[in-house]
Amino acid sequence: MSKITNIKLDNFTSFAGLDQPFSTGVNIIIGANGTGKTHLLKVLYAACAITVGEDKEKSFSLKLRNVFNPYEGRIGRLSRRQSTSVKTKATVTREGGAKLSAEFSNHTHKFDDVKLSGETAWKKDELASAYIPVKEMLAHAPGFLATAAKREIAFEEVYVDIIKRAFLPKLMGPIDKNRQRLLTALQKAIDGKVVAKGEHFFLKNKQGDLEFTLLAEGMRKLALIWLLIQNGTLLSGSVLFWDEPEANLNPALMGEVVEVILELHRLGVQVFLTTHNYVLLKEFDLRKQKDDQIRYISLFRDASEAVTAKASDSYLGVDPNAIAATFSDLYDRELKRSLGGIKP
Amino acid sequence: MTVLAEDDLQITLPSGVVGRKFDDETSHGLSHCMKAVDFIVEMDDCVLFVEFKDPENPKAKPKDSAAFIKKFLSGAIDSDLKAKYRDSWLYEMAEGRAKKPIYYLVLMGASSLSEAELLARTDALKRQIPVTGPGDRPWKKPFVAGCAVMNLASWNKVLPHIPASRVGP
Repeated sequence: MSKITNIKLDNFTSFAGLDQPFSTGVNIIIGANGTGKTHLLKVLYAACAITVGEDKEKSFSLKLRNVFNPYEGRIGRLSRRQSTSVKTKATVTREGGAKLSAEFSNHTHKFDDVKLSGETAWKKDELASAYIPVKEMLAHAPGFLATAAKREIAFEEVYVDIIKRAFLPKLMGPIDKNRQRLLTALQKAIDGKVVAKGEHFFLKNKQGDLEFTLLAEGMRKLALIWLLIQNGTLLSGSVLFWDEPEANLNPALMGEVVEVILELHRLGVQVFLTTHNYVLLKEFDLRKQKDDQIRYISLFRDASEAVTAKASDSYLGVDPNAIAATFSDLYDRELKRSLGGIKP
Repeated sequence: MTVLAEDDLQITLPSGVVGRKFDDETSHGLSHCMKAVDFIVEMDDCVLFVEFKDPENPKAKPKDSAAFIKKFLSGAIDSDLKAKYRDSWLYEMAEGRAKKPIYYLVLMGASSLSEAELLARTDALKRQIPVTGPGDRPWKKPFVAGCAVMNLASWNKVLPHIPASRVGP
Protein backbone atom coordinates (compact mmCIF):
# COMPACT_ATOMS: atom_id res chain seq x y z
CA MET A 1 0.00 0.00 0.00
CA SER A 2 2.75 2.46 -0.85
CA LYS A 3 1.44 5.91 -1.70
CA ILE A 4 1.84 8.02 -4.83
CA THR A 5 4.83 10.35 -4.75
CA ASN A 6 5.10 11.86 -8.23
CA ILE A 7 3.55 12.33 -11.64
CA LYS A 8 5.36 13.17 -14.85
CA LEU A 9 3.30 14.14 -17.89
CA ASP A 10 4.95 14.88 -21.22
CA ASN A 11 2.60 16.26 -23.86
CA PHE A 12 -0.40 14.71 -22.14
CA THR A 13 -3.66 16.66 -22.82
CA SER A 14 -2.85 20.26 -21.82
CA PHE A 15 0.43 19.43 -20.04
CA ALA A 16 3.72 19.93 -21.90
CA GLY A 17 6.21 18.82 -19.26
CA LEU A 18 4.74 18.48 -15.81
CA ASP A 19 6.91 16.86 -13.13
CA GLN A 20 5.07 17.17 -9.85
CA PRO A 21 5.92 15.62 -6.48
CA PHE A 22 2.95 14.93 -4.18
CA SER A 23 2.33 14.96 -0.47
CA THR A 24 1.47 11.57 1.02
CA GLY A 25 -1.24 13.52 2.89
CA VAL A 26 -3.72 15.87 1.19
CA ASN A 27 -3.05 17.34 -2.27
CA ILE A 28 -5.30 20.25 -3.20
CA ILE A 29 -5.24 21.10 -6.89
CA ILE A 30 -6.44 24.53 -7.95
CA GLY A 31 -6.43 26.38 -11.26
CA ALA A 32 -8.74 28.08 -13.75
CA ASN A 33 -11.05 26.04 -15.99
CA GLY A 34 -9.19 24.10 -18.66
CA THR A 35 -5.91 23.73 -16.76
CA GLY A 36 -6.27 19.95 -16.48
CA LYS A 37 -7.09 19.46 -12.81
CA THR A 38 -9.47 16.58 -13.50
CA HIS A 39 -7.04 15.08 -16.03
CA LEU A 40 -4.39 14.87 -13.35
CA LEU A 41 -6.81 13.09 -11.01
CA LYS A 42 -7.87 10.63 -13.71
CA VAL A 43 -4.32 9.57 -14.65
CA LEU A 44 -3.48 8.94 -11.00
CA TYR A 45 -6.77 7.13 -10.45
CA ALA A 46 -6.22 4.86 -13.49
CA ALA A 47 -2.81 3.92 -12.08
CA CYS A 48 -4.35 3.02 -8.69
CA ALA A 49 -7.45 1.27 -10.07
CA ILE A 50 -5.52 -1.40 -12.03
CA THR A 51 -3.92 -2.73 -8.84
CA VAL A 52 -7.17 -3.96 -7.26
CA GLY A 53 -10.12 -6.25 -8.02
CA GLU A 54 -11.57 -6.76 -11.48
CA ASP A 55 -9.60 -3.80 -12.89
CA LYS A 56 -6.43 -5.85 -12.32
CA GLU A 57 -7.30 -7.53 -15.62
CA LYS A 58 -7.05 -4.17 -17.38
CA SER A 59 -3.87 -2.59 -18.63
CA PHE A 60 -2.97 0.97 -17.59
CA SER A 61 -3.66 2.12 -21.15
CA LEU A 62 -7.12 0.52 -21.24
CA LYS A 63 -8.04 2.07 -17.90
CA LEU A 64 -6.75 5.44 -19.10
CA ARG A 65 -8.90 5.14 -22.20
CA ASN A 66 -11.96 4.18 -20.17
CA VAL A 67 -11.72 6.97 -17.61
CA PHE A 68 -11.04 9.64 -20.24
CA ASN A 69 -13.43 8.21 -22.85
CA PRO A 70 -11.87 9.96 -25.88
CA TYR A 71 -13.72 10.10 -29.21
CA GLU A 72 -13.87 6.64 -30.84
CA GLY A 73 -11.71 5.34 -27.99
CA ARG A 74 -8.60 6.71 -29.70
CA ILE A 75 -5.90 6.99 -27.10
CA GLY A 76 -3.85 9.32 -29.31
CA ARG A 77 -6.49 12.00 -28.69
CA LEU A 78 -5.01 12.32 -25.20
CA SER A 79 -1.79 13.69 -26.71
CA ARG A 80 -1.24 17.41 -26.38
CA ARG A 81 -2.65 19.01 -29.49
CA GLN A 82 0.14 20.38 -31.70
CA SER A 83 0.53 20.98 -35.41
CA THR A 84 3.26 18.32 -35.56
CA SER A 85 3.53 14.70 -34.41
CA VAL A 86 3.67 14.46 -30.63
CA LYS A 87 5.21 11.87 -28.33
CA THR A 88 3.25 11.49 -25.11
CA LYS A 89 4.34 9.88 -21.88
CA ALA A 90 2.63 9.57 -18.51
CA THR A 91 4.60 8.23 -15.55
CA VAL A 92 3.36 7.72 -12.01
CA THR A 93 5.78 6.95 -9.16
CA ARG A 94 5.10 5.43 -5.75
CA GLU A 95 6.92 5.26 -2.44
CA GLY A 96 9.83 2.86 -2.85
CA GLY A 97 10.40 4.07 -6.39
CA ALA A 98 8.03 1.78 -8.35
CA LYS A 99 7.14 3.45 -11.66
CA LEU A 100 4.31 2.90 -14.14
CA SER A 101 4.46 4.53 -17.58
CA ALA A 102 2.42 4.70 -20.75
CA GLU A 103 3.93 6.01 -23.98
CA PHE A 104 2.10 6.76 -27.19
CA SER A 105 1.76 9.37 -29.90
CA ASN A 106 -1.08 11.41 -31.29
CA HIS A 107 -1.28 8.80 -34.08
CA THR A 108 -1.88 5.88 -31.69
CA HIS A 109 -5.43 4.57 -32.04
CA LYS A 110 -5.67 1.42 -29.96
CA PHE A 111 -4.94 1.21 -26.28
CA ASP A 112 -2.95 -2.02 -26.79
CA ASP A 113 -0.55 -0.19 -29.08
CA VAL A 114 0.53 1.91 -26.10
CA LYS A 115 4.02 1.09 -24.79
CA LEU A 116 3.69 0.27 -21.11
CA SER A 117 6.49 -0.18 -18.64
CA GLY A 118 6.63 -1.28 -15.03
CA GLU A 119 3.07 -2.63 -15.01
CA THR A 120 3.72 -6.15 -13.71
CA ALA A 121 5.70 -4.98 -10.69
CA TRP A 122 3.25 -2.09 -10.15
CA LYS A 123 0.24 -4.41 -9.87
CA LYS A 124 1.89 -6.57 -7.21
CA ASP A 125 1.34 -3.84 -4.63
CA GLU A 126 -2.39 -3.14 -4.24
CA LEU A 127 -3.46 0.47 -3.89
CA ALA A 128 -7.19 0.70 -3.13
CA SER A 129 -8.81 3.91 -4.30
CA ALA A 130 -12.07 5.72 -4.92
CA TYR A 131 -12.76 8.50 -7.41
CA ILE A 132 -15.68 10.77 -6.62
CA PRO A 133 -16.71 12.63 -9.76
CA VAL A 134 -18.31 16.08 -9.78
CA LYS A 135 -21.71 14.66 -10.67
CA GLU A 136 -23.35 12.71 -7.89
CA MET A 137 -24.08 9.16 -9.09
CA LEU A 138 -25.70 7.15 -6.30
CA ALA A 139 -29.18 8.45 -7.05
CA HIS A 140 -28.74 7.22 -10.63
CA ALA A 141 -27.46 3.78 -9.65
CA PRO A 142 -30.59 1.74 -10.52
CA GLY A 143 -30.01 0.17 -13.91
CA PHE A 144 -26.87 2.17 -14.53
CA LEU A 145 -24.37 -0.66 -14.11
CA ALA A 146 -26.32 -3.04 -16.36
CA THR A 147 -26.70 -0.40 -19.04
CA ALA A 148 -23.05 0.58 -18.81
CA ALA A 149 -22.00 -3.09 -19.00
CA LYS A 150 -23.89 -3.47 -22.28
CA ARG A 151 -21.96 -0.40 -23.49
CA GLU A 152 -25.24 1.24 -24.34
CA ILE A 153 -24.04 4.49 -22.86
CA ALA A 154 -20.60 5.98 -23.28
CA PHE A 155 -19.93 7.24 -19.78
CA GLU A 156 -16.49 7.90 -18.42
CA GLU A 157 -15.67 4.83 -16.35
CA VAL A 158 -15.22 6.85 -13.16
CA TYR A 159 -19.03 6.99 -12.92
CA VAL A 160 -19.41 3.22 -13.14
CA ASP A 161 -16.54 2.66 -10.73
CA ILE A 162 -17.90 4.82 -7.94
CA ILE A 163 -21.27 3.07 -8.05
CA LYS A 164 -19.55 -0.32 -7.90
CA ARG A 165 -17.53 0.78 -4.89
CA ALA A 166 -20.62 2.08 -3.15
CA PHE A 167 -22.29 -1.33 -3.60
CA LEU A 168 -19.41 -3.20 -1.91
CA PRO A 169 -20.65 -5.02 1.21
CA LYS A 170 -19.96 -3.73 4.71
CA LEU A 171 -16.48 -4.59 5.94
CA MET A 172 -16.66 -7.40 8.50
CA GLY A 173 -14.77 -7.52 11.77
CA PRO A 174 -14.25 -4.97 14.51
CA ILE A 175 -14.15 -1.29 13.56
CA ASP A 176 -11.22 0.56 15.03
CA LYS A 177 -11.82 3.57 17.24
CA ASN A 178 -10.86 6.28 14.76
CA ARG A 179 -12.92 4.83 11.93
CA GLN A 180 -15.93 4.51 14.22
CA ARG A 181 -15.55 8.11 15.32
CA LEU A 182 -15.58 9.25 11.72
CA LEU A 183 -18.60 7.10 10.86
CA THR A 184 -20.47 8.46 13.88
CA ALA A 185 -19.64 12.05 12.92
CA LEU A 186 -20.90 11.45 9.38
CA GLN A 187 -24.06 9.75 10.63
CA LYS A 188 -24.73 12.83 12.70
CA ALA A 189 -24.20 15.10 9.69
CA ILE A 190 -26.48 13.09 7.39
CA ASP A 191 -28.86 12.20 10.21
CA GLY A 192 -28.93 8.47 9.53
CA LYS A 193 -27.26 5.54 7.83
CA VAL A 194 -27.21 4.48 4.21
CA VAL A 195 -28.78 1.18 3.16
CA ALA A 196 -28.94 -0.44 -0.26
CA LYS A 197 -31.99 -2.39 -1.41
CA GLY A 198 -31.29 -3.99 -4.74
CA GLU A 199 -29.82 -1.19 -6.81
CA HIS A 200 -31.50 1.57 -4.79
CA PHE A 201 -29.82 3.55 -2.02
CA PHE A 202 -31.80 4.93 0.92
CA LEU A 203 -31.01 7.09 3.90
CA LYS A 204 -32.38 5.28 6.91
CA ASN A 205 -33.31 7.29 9.98
CA LYS A 206 -36.11 7.75 12.50
CA GLN A 207 -38.52 8.91 9.82
CA GLY A 208 -37.96 5.75 7.78
CA ASP A 209 -36.17 5.15 4.48
CA LEU A 210 -35.62 8.14 2.24
CA GLU A 211 -34.62 7.43 -1.35
CA PHE A 212 -31.49 9.16 -2.60
CA THR A 213 -33.34 11.04 -5.30
CA LEU A 214 -35.16 12.95 -2.53
CA LEU A 215 -31.96 13.90 -0.71
CA ALA A 216 -30.05 17.14 -1.16
CA GLU A 217 -26.98 16.53 -3.32
CA GLY A 218 -24.66 17.70 -0.57
CA MET A 219 -26.10 15.06 1.75
CA ARG A 220 -25.64 12.39 -0.92
CA LYS A 221 -21.93 13.22 -1.03
CA LEU A 222 -21.50 12.78 2.71
CA ALA A 223 -23.58 9.61 2.51
CA LEU A 224 -21.25 8.26 -0.18
CA ILE A 225 -18.20 8.92 2.00
CA TRP A 226 -19.97 7.11 4.86
CA LEU A 227 -20.51 4.09 2.58
CA LEU A 228 -16.90 4.07 1.39
CA ILE A 229 -15.59 4.14 4.95
CA GLN A 230 -18.08 1.55 6.16
CA ASN A 231 -17.29 -0.91 3.37
CA GLY A 232 -13.54 -0.51 3.79
CA THR A 233 -12.78 1.21 0.48
CA LEU A 234 -11.29 4.13 2.37
CA LEU A 235 -8.90 2.54 4.85
CA SER A 236 -5.38 3.43 5.86
CA GLY A 237 -3.15 3.19 2.82
CA SER A 238 -5.92 3.85 0.29
CA VAL A 239 -6.26 6.86 -1.99
CA LEU A 240 -9.26 9.17 -2.32
CA PHE A 241 -9.70 11.26 -5.47
CA TRP A 242 -12.41 13.90 -5.14
CA ASP A 243 -13.24 16.20 -8.01
CA GLU A 244 -14.68 19.47 -6.68
CA PRO A 245 -16.07 18.39 -3.30
CA GLU A 246 -17.84 21.76 -3.14
CA ALA A 247 -20.18 21.02 -6.06
CA ASN A 248 -23.81 21.35 -4.94
CA LEU A 249 -22.72 21.72 -1.35
CA ASN A 250 -24.07 24.43 0.92
CA PRO A 251 -21.05 26.50 2.05
CA ALA A 252 -22.16 25.90 5.64
CA LEU A 253 -21.46 22.17 5.14
CA MET A 254 -18.00 22.84 3.71
CA GLY A 255 -16.35 22.83 7.12
CA GLU A 256 -17.69 19.34 7.86
CA VAL A 257 -16.51 18.02 4.51
CA VAL A 258 -13.03 19.44 5.09
CA GLU A 259 -12.98 17.95 8.59
CA VAL A 260 -13.90 14.54 7.14
CA ILE A 261 -11.12 14.82 4.53
CA LEU A 262 -8.60 15.80 7.21
CA GLU A 263 -9.74 12.93 9.43
CA LEU A 264 -9.35 10.48 6.53
CA HIS A 265 -5.84 11.84 5.98
CA ARG A 266 -5.07 11.37 9.68
CA LEU A 267 -6.26 7.74 9.36
CA GLY A 268 -3.66 7.25 6.61
CA VAL A 269 -5.70 7.88 3.44
CA GLN A 270 -3.86 9.82 0.73
CA VAL A 271 -6.15 12.47 -0.76
CA PHE A 272 -6.19 14.27 -4.10
CA LEU A 273 -8.86 16.89 -4.63
CA THR A 274 -9.58 19.69 -7.06
CA THR A 275 -11.41 22.85 -6.14
CA HIS A 276 -12.61 26.21 -7.40
CA ASN A 277 -13.90 27.20 -4.02
CA TYR A 278 -12.45 29.80 -1.69
CA VAL A 279 -14.39 28.59 1.35
CA LEU A 280 -13.05 25.05 0.92
CA LEU A 281 -9.46 26.30 0.61
CA LYS A 282 -9.83 28.57 3.60
CA GLU A 283 -11.41 25.81 5.69
CA PHE A 284 -8.30 23.70 5.09
CA ASP A 285 -6.13 26.63 6.08
CA LEU A 286 -8.09 27.23 9.29
CA ARG A 287 -8.67 23.59 10.32
CA LYS A 288 -5.20 22.25 9.52
CA GLN A 289 -3.37 20.95 12.58
CA LYS A 290 0.36 20.93 13.16
CA ASP A 291 1.01 17.41 11.89
CA ASP A 292 -1.37 17.52 8.92
CA GLN A 293 0.38 17.34 5.57
CA ILE A 294 -1.29 19.53 3.00
CA ARG A 295 0.14 20.52 -0.36
CA TYR A 296 -1.50 23.12 -2.57
CA ILE A 297 -0.78 22.63 -6.27
CA SER A 298 -1.62 25.54 -8.53
CA LEU A 299 -2.03 24.79 -12.25
CA PHE A 300 -1.79 27.62 -14.74
CA ARG A 301 -0.91 28.24 -18.39
CA ASP A 302 2.53 29.64 -19.13
CA ALA A 303 3.44 31.95 -22.01
CA SER A 304 3.39 29.02 -24.46
CA GLU A 305 -0.14 28.07 -23.29
CA ALA A 306 1.15 24.82 -21.79
CA VAL A 307 -0.10 24.02 -18.32
CA THR A 308 2.50 24.12 -15.62
CA ALA A 309 2.36 23.83 -11.83
CA LYS A 310 3.64 25.50 -8.70
CA ALA A 311 3.27 23.84 -5.33
CA SER A 312 3.32 25.14 -1.80
CA ASP A 313 2.82 23.50 1.57
CA SER A 314 1.29 26.67 3.01
CA TYR A 315 -1.91 28.38 1.93
CA LEU A 316 -0.34 31.82 1.70
CA GLY A 317 2.39 30.42 -0.53
CA VAL A 318 -0.09 29.36 -3.23
CA ASP A 319 0.83 31.33 -6.31
CA PRO A 320 -0.84 31.95 -8.64
CA ASN A 321 -4.06 31.50 -6.68
CA ALA A 322 -6.84 31.65 -9.27
CA ILE A 323 -9.47 31.51 -6.55
CA ALA A 324 -8.11 34.34 -4.41
CA ALA A 325 -7.40 36.37 -7.55
CA THR A 326 -11.11 36.30 -8.37
CA PHE A 327 -11.86 37.82 -4.97
CA SER A 328 -9.11 40.33 -5.43
CA ASP A 329 -10.75 41.55 -8.61
CA LEU A 330 -14.19 41.68 -6.95
CA TYR A 331 -12.75 43.57 -3.99
CA ASP A 332 -11.04 46.12 -6.25
CA ARG A 333 -14.30 46.77 -8.07
CA GLU A 334 -16.23 46.99 -4.79
CA LEU A 335 -13.79 49.60 -3.40
CA LYS A 336 -14.03 51.58 -6.61
CA ARG A 337 -17.82 51.55 -6.42
CA SER A 338 -18.00 52.33 -2.68
CA LEU A 339 -15.28 54.93 -2.45
CA GLY A 340 -15.09 56.26 -6.01
CA GLY A 341 -16.75 59.49 -4.84
CA ILE A 342 -13.77 60.53 -2.69
CA LYS A 343 -11.98 62.95 -4.97
CA PRO A 344 -8.36 64.02 -4.43
CA MET B 1 0.12 68.61 5.98
CA THR B 2 -1.81 67.02 8.80
CA VAL B 3 -0.93 63.56 10.01
CA LEU B 4 -3.54 61.65 11.97
CA ALA B 5 -1.97 58.85 13.99
CA GLU B 6 -2.99 56.39 16.62
CA ASP B 7 -0.45 54.02 18.09
CA ASP B 8 1.36 52.57 15.08
CA LEU B 9 -0.98 53.55 12.22
CA GLN B 10 -1.20 56.92 10.50
CA ILE B 11 -2.72 58.66 7.51
CA THR B 12 -1.41 61.84 5.91
CA LEU B 13 -4.06 64.30 4.75
CA PRO B 14 -3.71 66.33 1.55
CA SER B 15 -2.56 69.92 2.19
CA GLY B 16 -5.35 72.23 3.23
CA VAL B 17 -7.55 69.38 4.47
CA VAL B 18 -8.37 69.36 8.17
CA GLY B 19 -8.98 66.35 10.32
CA ARG B 20 -9.52 65.82 14.02
CA LYS B 21 -9.25 63.11 16.57
CA PHE B 22 -12.79 62.20 17.56
CA ASP B 23 -12.61 59.14 19.74
CA ASP B 24 -11.49 60.64 23.03
CA GLU B 25 -13.39 62.05 25.94
CA THR B 26 -12.35 65.65 25.32
CA SER B 27 -13.59 65.53 21.72
CA HIS B 28 -17.11 64.31 22.12
CA GLY B 29 -17.62 64.23 25.89
CA LEU B 30 -20.22 61.47 25.69
CA SER B 31 -18.24 58.32 26.41
CA HIS B 32 -20.93 57.11 28.79
CA CYS B 33 -23.43 56.69 25.98
CA MET B 34 -21.73 56.54 22.63
CA LYS B 35 -19.10 54.82 20.58
CA ALA B 36 -17.02 56.92 18.23
CA VAL B 37 -14.87 56.57 15.15
CA ASP B 38 -11.20 57.49 15.61
CA PHE B 39 -11.02 60.49 13.24
CA ILE B 40 -13.21 62.85 11.26
CA VAL B 41 -11.71 64.42 8.14
CA GLU B 42 -13.26 67.36 6.26
CA MET B 43 -12.59 67.12 2.54
CA ASP B 44 -13.82 69.75 0.05
CA ASP B 45 -16.89 67.85 -1.03
CA CYS B 46 -17.21 65.05 1.50
CA VAL B 47 -16.44 63.97 5.04
CA LEU B 48 -14.47 60.87 6.02
CA PHE B 49 -15.10 58.92 9.20
CA VAL B 50 -11.94 56.92 9.80
CA GLU B 51 -11.49 53.96 12.12
CA PHE B 52 -8.16 52.22 12.78
CA LYS B 53 -7.87 48.62 13.96
CA ASP B 54 -4.36 47.35 14.43
CA PRO B 55 -3.93 43.70 15.40
CA GLU B 56 -0.37 43.77 13.99
CA ASN B 57 0.66 46.65 16.20
CA PRO B 58 4.23 45.76 17.25
CA LYS B 59 3.24 46.37 20.87
CA ALA B 60 0.25 44.00 20.70
CA LYS B 61 0.55 40.62 22.39
CA PRO B 62 0.36 37.70 19.89
CA LYS B 63 -2.58 36.27 21.86
CA ASP B 64 -4.53 39.53 21.52
CA SER B 65 -3.72 39.79 17.81
CA ALA B 66 -4.95 36.25 17.21
CA ALA B 67 -8.12 36.94 19.20
CA PHE B 68 -8.78 40.05 17.15
CA ILE B 69 -8.27 38.27 13.81
CA LYS B 70 -10.73 35.61 14.99
CA LYS B 71 -13.24 38.32 15.89
CA PHE B 72 -12.73 39.87 12.48
CA LEU B 73 -13.14 36.64 10.52
CA SER B 74 -16.20 35.54 12.47
CA GLY B 75 -17.93 38.84 11.80
CA ALA B 76 -18.21 39.68 15.50
CA ILE B 77 -16.44 42.96 14.72
CA ASP B 78 -19.21 44.13 12.36
CA SER B 79 -21.64 45.37 14.99
CA ASP B 80 -18.82 47.21 16.74
CA LEU B 81 -17.92 49.05 13.54
CA LYS B 82 -21.59 49.75 12.85
CA ALA B 83 -22.16 51.28 16.29
CA LYS B 84 -19.14 53.55 15.92
CA TYR B 85 -20.41 54.87 12.62
CA ARG B 86 -24.03 55.35 13.62
CA ASP B 87 -23.24 57.06 16.93
CA SER B 88 -20.67 59.34 15.32
CA TRP B 89 -23.09 60.22 12.51
CA LEU B 90 -25.89 61.00 14.95
CA TYR B 91 -23.53 63.18 16.98
CA GLU B 92 -22.37 65.15 13.95
CA MET B 93 -25.91 65.56 12.65
CA ALA B 94 -27.19 66.78 16.02
CA GLU B 95 -24.35 69.28 16.09
CA GLY B 96 -25.46 70.52 12.68
CA ARG B 97 -22.32 69.42 10.90
CA ALA B 98 -23.39 66.40 8.81
CA LYS B 99 -24.02 68.36 5.62
CA LYS B 100 -21.72 66.69 3.10
CA PRO B 101 -21.76 63.03 2.01
CA ILE B 102 -19.96 60.90 4.61
CA TYR B 103 -17.69 57.97 3.79
CA TYR B 104 -16.70 55.40 6.40
CA LEU B 105 -13.18 54.02 6.06
CA VAL B 106 -11.91 51.21 8.26
CA LEU B 107 -8.15 50.69 8.13
CA MET B 108 -6.95 47.29 9.32
CA GLY B 109 -3.32 46.86 10.26
CA ALA B 110 -3.42 43.19 9.31
CA SER B 111 -1.39 42.19 6.28
CA SER B 112 -2.41 38.55 6.65
CA LEU B 113 -6.06 39.25 5.79
CA SER B 114 -6.92 38.23 2.24
CA GLU B 115 -8.96 40.34 -0.13
CA ALA B 116 -11.75 37.77 0.10
CA GLU B 117 -11.92 38.39 3.85
CA LEU B 118 -11.80 42.16 3.45
CA LEU B 119 -14.53 41.95 0.81
CA ALA B 120 -16.67 39.80 3.09
CA ARG B 121 -16.35 42.36 5.93
CA THR B 122 -17.00 45.28 3.57
CA ASP B 123 -20.21 43.61 2.40
CA ALA B 124 -21.20 42.82 5.98
CA LEU B 125 -20.60 46.42 7.05
CA LYS B 126 -22.74 47.70 4.18
CA ARG B 127 -25.56 45.43 5.36
CA GLN B 128 -25.11 46.37 9.02
CA ILE B 129 -25.03 50.16 8.72
CA PRO B 130 -27.20 49.70 6.44
CA VAL B 131 -26.20 51.49 3.26
CA THR B 132 -29.62 50.94 1.68
CA GLY B 133 -33.11 51.21 3.14
CA PRO B 134 -35.82 48.56 3.52
CA GLY B 135 -36.39 46.38 0.46
CA ASP B 136 -32.92 47.36 -0.76
CA ARG B 137 -34.22 50.72 -1.95
CA PRO B 138 -32.03 53.81 -1.53
CA TRP B 139 -32.67 55.95 1.57
CA LYS B 140 -34.50 59.20 0.87
CA LYS B 141 -31.79 60.90 2.92
CA PRO B 142 -28.71 58.69 2.64
CA PHE B 143 -26.60 58.78 5.80
CA VAL B 144 -23.56 57.06 4.36
CA ALA B 145 -22.10 57.66 0.91
CA GLY B 146 -19.90 54.56 0.96
CA CYS B 147 -17.90 52.35 3.28
CA ALA B 148 -15.06 49.87 3.07
CA VAL B 149 -12.78 47.73 5.19
CA MET B 150 -9.19 47.90 3.93
CA ASN B 151 -5.67 46.94 4.84
CA LEU B 152 -2.72 49.26 4.23
CA ALA B 153 -2.13 47.96 0.70
CA SER B 154 -5.72 48.28 -0.47
CA TRP B 155 -6.13 51.70 1.23
CA ASN B 156 -3.10 53.08 -0.59
CA LYS B 157 -4.31 51.64 -3.87
CA VAL B 158 -7.73 53.27 -3.71
CA LEU B 159 -6.83 56.42 -1.74
CA PRO B 160 -3.30 57.31 -2.91
CA HIS B 161 -3.92 61.00 -2.05
CA ILE B 162 -4.41 60.11 1.63
CA PRO B 163 -1.49 57.72 2.16
CA ALA B 164 -1.65 55.31 5.08
CA SER B 165 1.40 53.81 6.73
CA ARG B 166 2.88 52.49 9.93
CA VAL B 167 4.35 55.08 12.30
CA GLY B 168 7.38 52.84 12.86
CA PRO B 169 10.08 53.19 15.48
